[in-house]
Amino acid sequence: MRSPRALVRVVLPPVAFGVAFLALWEAAVKVFDLKPYFLPPPSAIWEQFRGNVGLVWDAASVSGTNALVGLIVGTVVGVALSFALARFRLLNDLVTPLAIALNAVPIFVLVAVFNNMFSITSEVPRRLMVTLVVQFIVLVNVARGLRQVEATQLELMRSYAAGQLAILRKVRVPNAVPYLFTALRIAAPASVITAFVSEYFGGSQNGLGSRIVGNIAISANAAAWAYVLGACLLGLAFFVAAVSLERVATPGGVSSRGRDGA
Amino acid sequence: MNAVDVRNLSKVFNQGRPNAVAALIDIDLSIEPGEFVSLIGPSGCGKSTQLRLIANLLEPTTGEVLVNGKPAGQARLDQDYGMAFQQAALFEWRSVAKNIELPLELKGWDKAERRKRALEMLDLVKLPEFGDALPWQLSGGMQQRVAIARALAAHPPLLLMDEPFGALDEMTREHMQDELLRICRETSTTVVFVTHSIPEAVYLSTRVVVMSPRPGRITSVIDVDLPPERDVRTREADAFFRGVTEVREALRGIGPAGSGGAP
Repeated sequence: MRSPRALVRVVLPPVAFGVAFLALWEAAVKVFDLKPYFLPPPSAIWEQFRGNVGLVWDAASVSGTNALVGLIVGTVVGVALSFALARFRLLNDLVTPLAIALNAVPIFVLVAVFNNMFSITSEVPRRLMVTLVVQFIVLVNVARGLRQVEATQLELMRSYAAGQLAILRKVRVPNAVPYLFTALRIAAPASVITAFVSEYFGGSQNGLGSRIVGNIAISANAAAWAYVLGACLLGLAFFVAAVSLERVATPGGVSSRGRDGA
Repeated sequence: MNAVDVRNLSKVFNQGRPNAVAALIDIDLSIEPGEFVSLIGPSGCGKSTQLRLIANLLEPTTGEVLVNGKPAGQARLDQDYGMAFQQAALFEWRSVAKNIELPLELKGWDKAERRKRALEMLDLVKLPEFGDALPWQLSGGMQQRVAIARALAAHPPLLLMDEPFGALDEMTREHMQDELLRICRETSTTVVFVTHSIPEAVYLSTRVVVMSPRPGRITSVIDVDLPPERDVRTREADAFFRGVTEVREALRGIGPAGSGGAP
């Protein structure tokens, strides 16, 4: 456990920096007389946020639900596929390069195509998109965790006359757990980003992404920024949730090796 | 019945392909119960390969390996031997006690029996208070002791060790050598021990098997003329130095790997 003083030393500098940054922003808008359509001051954004907190919350729950559903389904699918990949080498050699390559291209533009497949008010295309993004991240990491077991540990298991199933249960799966959490730490914020970027490609105008676009279209810049703030908070919440889950599930630094390896 | 019988053993990696490598040829070796036999030789002499053939982690190209009078494969399935490597290779998500319990778990022991044996083993390696610790909380020497406790948990008659102290500092290493001798005496375990270190081989062994590379084979077997009980004074005894000299001269005939092999 950290002492209160150590905690202050860790927390204070970034908080001070943040406050200074906001103050500078506020001052810059005043001094250079920047027009609200160019850059609204933080005070105006905050005012908009407080005044519309219910609307921001509604929009955030739409985007957040899409992200969460995609995150959960994507994780389940990714884990399931990773087992298949770890079991069949050929499948792994076929799929892994593809998964990595697809991860490098902005596949969320596919949502435009998905939108065509479903009704215009459906949330399914967005959730499908999040699922796709998440499952690649989970798949690549967990498959690596299942395969990258120390050679000596495998020899030991063979010396204990352990079969493939016992090796899977007692070595590969526990070895992959930290890799899963690494994947979730990347996938959680990615799911939120994918959820609102997906909203830029049409469909219902109810999520954070749509609200940002909508408010910019009517030059309500401060309101748009209020939704941006909501988006930041949502992404942060997902990240914190993923990290907390990791802390709870793997106490005492068990996952340290996995972190290095990932 | 011998603890280990190796007859006419050879191992060729990638046989029938252009990159075939003869790792071992014409290996004959018999080890009696209670012996401590070290395999020593330059890198590439096949000493680790030979250990893995005894453990049935590799299949021989020709010849046969008997452990406790059984084919090596059957001996592995019966867990007739325990094994320890240069890396402790502890499972980092398991507590120390649970690491020691693993071979017993795979043998189908019930929980209470396993825990009881794990605690006994922790006493044996003098780490009684570390059962609930996680491996990363232990020093290298302590991890290696846990690895030895795990290898011996099922009370196998044979212990196979591949440079288990190779990564430890000199002081810890000598201490671990004494601990290993004590543990083997208390449990009457036969040991096959792969090492690079001449003093280590002489100090621990009843016999030292000297091997040469390319292809790996046994060039001489040296009986160590030291009493079974060994301690600090042994390391300064004339008989110890004579043993060291004898092994060194046997190795000199071979030369380091890549220098042209045996005369």
